[in-house]
Amino acid sequence: MRERKAFSLDRTFLIDLTRCTGCRGCQVACKEWNQMEAEKTAFFEGEGYQNPLAMSEHTLTRIKFRDYQKDGRNEFAFYKEMCMHCNQPACASVCPVGAFRKTPEGPVIYDAKRCIGCRFCMVACPFGVPKYQWSKTLPLVVKCTGCYSRVKAGLVPACAKACPSAIVYGNRRDMVDEAQRRLAAWPAKYINRIYGLGEAGGTSVLYLSELPFDELGFKNVTSRPLPSYTWAALRLVPGIFMGVGASLTFISWLTQRKDRLRNEEETRKAAPARPEEK
Amino acid sequence: MIAVARIREEVGGYPRFVKFLMVLIGVGVICALARFVFGLGALTNLNDTYPWGLWVAFDVVTSVPLAAGAFIVGAIVHCFNIKKLEPLVRPTIVTGFLGYSLVCVGLLLDLGQPQRAWHVFIYPNLRSPMLEVSMCIMSYTAVVFLEFLSPVCEKFGYRVPLRLLRHMQLPLVVLAAAIATLHQSSIGTFFLIAVDKLHNLWYTPVLPLLFWISAVFTGLSIVIVEAIMVHRHLGQPDETGLLATLARIIPWLLAIYLVLKVYSLIFLSQRPLFDRPVLTVLFLVEIGIGVIAPLIMFLQRRIRTDGRLQLRAAGLIVFGLALNRFNVSIFGMVQRNQHVYYPTVPESLVTIGIISADVFFFFLIARYFPIFEHHPEAADYRIPDRFRRITEYPVPEKTGRRV
Repeated sequence: MRERKAFSLDRTFLIDLTRCTGCRGCQVACKEWNQMEAEKTAFFEGEGYQNPLAMSEHTLTRIKFRDYQKDGRNEFAFYKEMCMHCNQPACASVCPVGAFRKTPEGPVIYDAKRCIGCRFCMVACPFGVPKYQWSKTLPLVVKCTGCYSRVKAGLVPACAKACPSAIVYGNRRDMVDEAQRRLAAWPAKYINRIYGLGEAGGTSVLYLSELPFDELGFKNVTSRPLPSYTWAALRLVPGIFMGVGASLTFISWLTQRKDRLRNEEETRKAAPARPEEK
Repeated sequence: MIAVARIREEVGGYPRFVKFLMVLIGVGVICALARFVFGLGALTNLNDTYPWGLWVAFDVVTSVPLAAGAFIVGAIVHCFNIKKLEPLVRPTIVTGFLGYSLVCVGLLLDLGQPQRAWHVFIYPNLRSPMLEVSMCIMSYTAVVFLEFLSPVCEKFGYRVPLRLLRHMQLPLVVLAAAIATLHQSSIGTFFLIAVDKLHNLWYTPVLPLLFWISAVFTGLSIVIVEAIMVHRHLGQPDETGLLATLARIIPWLLAIYLVLKVYSLIFLSQRPLFDRPVLTVLFLVEIGIGVIAPLIMFLQRRIRTDGRLQLRAAGLIVFGLALNRFNVSIFGMVQRNQHVYYPTVPESLVTIGIISADVFFFFLIARYFPIFEHHPEAADYRIPDRFRRITEYPVPEKTGRRV
């Protein structure tokens, strides 16, 4: 994976969950733009108002509802689930065929033509984003592309375009500045934390929230880039291969040599009384 | 038609247990074919929460260390030159070859796009542990296949390839050990990326090393189990004396493993460790029954030299390893308040079919190829130091008689 010094120019979502109204325009826009199949759902299947139950092969983004009480009044909080477009994506590092790629523009995209369907990306992703076409005979992985085709054409992603209030889209540096400005301007309104700033080594989706993030269903994710965990072991591979090979070869040479010397000794003893040896 | 009749007669003569295995294999094959008709989602209980299930946990993550005997015994006999263990080598190589071939089968069934498996050659991502393991498993299968060719050539009396294989033997053994070390440990590397998913009892940066050590002592235990089974059921000579030599190596490895495991739990793991009762029990069973109990058993000379007790202790190790691999790849991954994965019936039948195929093909090879009669106490396994004399090198006596 290409190491980039700074991700400050990557296109980034700033999602202010306090400004989200739960209209789910983003869900609809995503389905429309990506031509995703509809899902048959029923209300209150799951824990709350959210619909469908979870992100899936047909649903790349979803608004999760959480009701809670504040000053004796019922309130709603929302969480827009989607791919976090990590700066150093775990999915890209573990994929044996390099089907995932962090683009210079920011989005992490998936090349379905390469995928062999091993599902390591699903195990590796700390956010549980890649989904699988379980209904198909020869399934592929499905995941939010950050509307890469739109971004390349100079447009903003479909969900960001459709969102009336909560999503701002721009350079990561500007989005971080904006998030910090909001946290400073309304300290009472927000939990003082930008989710995505350090998670998994930093992501191209940043969240602000009024409720603690874990209450909304955000996962607690390490701040160390995930590829570095496997690389710590994997970088030793050539050394171990050469080391094991060389030491075993050396040991074999030693033991065979001992054998040969012993054999020679025995032959010498077996053929005694050679005049020059006296 | 005569050929068919002869095959039918031959198969009719197999023991009943083997015929039962054939039925299990048949059922497994049907279920495996159903996977390609109805899809992974319909046949298995896999879903987006549990992308890896029984097929990965057993057919790959557990089977690979279970087939590890070949590289260890090969290295002990040929590199460390402990020739008296030679009679154990061939059966182990057969097990290794069968085990790895079936790992490949299991892997192909589990892939969503098995027809694209060759993509690993044209789009390799060198940062992926999966790439490394798939490359290693393929090359290792090839190496063990070459090692396995010796009895085949002996059977048919092909002298030239036999001589060639004899010269390649030591390099192959070294290569097999190097490749096996890599992929046995890299299967542990798989789970290093699951840093926020795998429970602290199992997540540790030294997981690859733990996987490698446990593969080594399990490989040795499997050799013990297999030799005793073969003695009991295929009427081969009792090798208890030789197995006692292997059994002397095992407690050292178990002790190193235990120390490393405890060290990693105390100094390298995140807290909390014992917050989930079920996982704690699984962990204690794995360590208590799978590591500490056999360690105590194998430390006693009485148990090391007794065929029945050897089998029990080795069986405990194998059980402990399987539980460990399941803990790492499935149970330890279950988050709080998450539904628990269990395999469907057809999913399990495929795995049972694969295990049966392992035993069945071992039976077939043992029946038709000289893998036990090979007791070459007198055989000369030195590296030929004068390659010019290659044509004068003696063909093993055994072959001479067979031809």
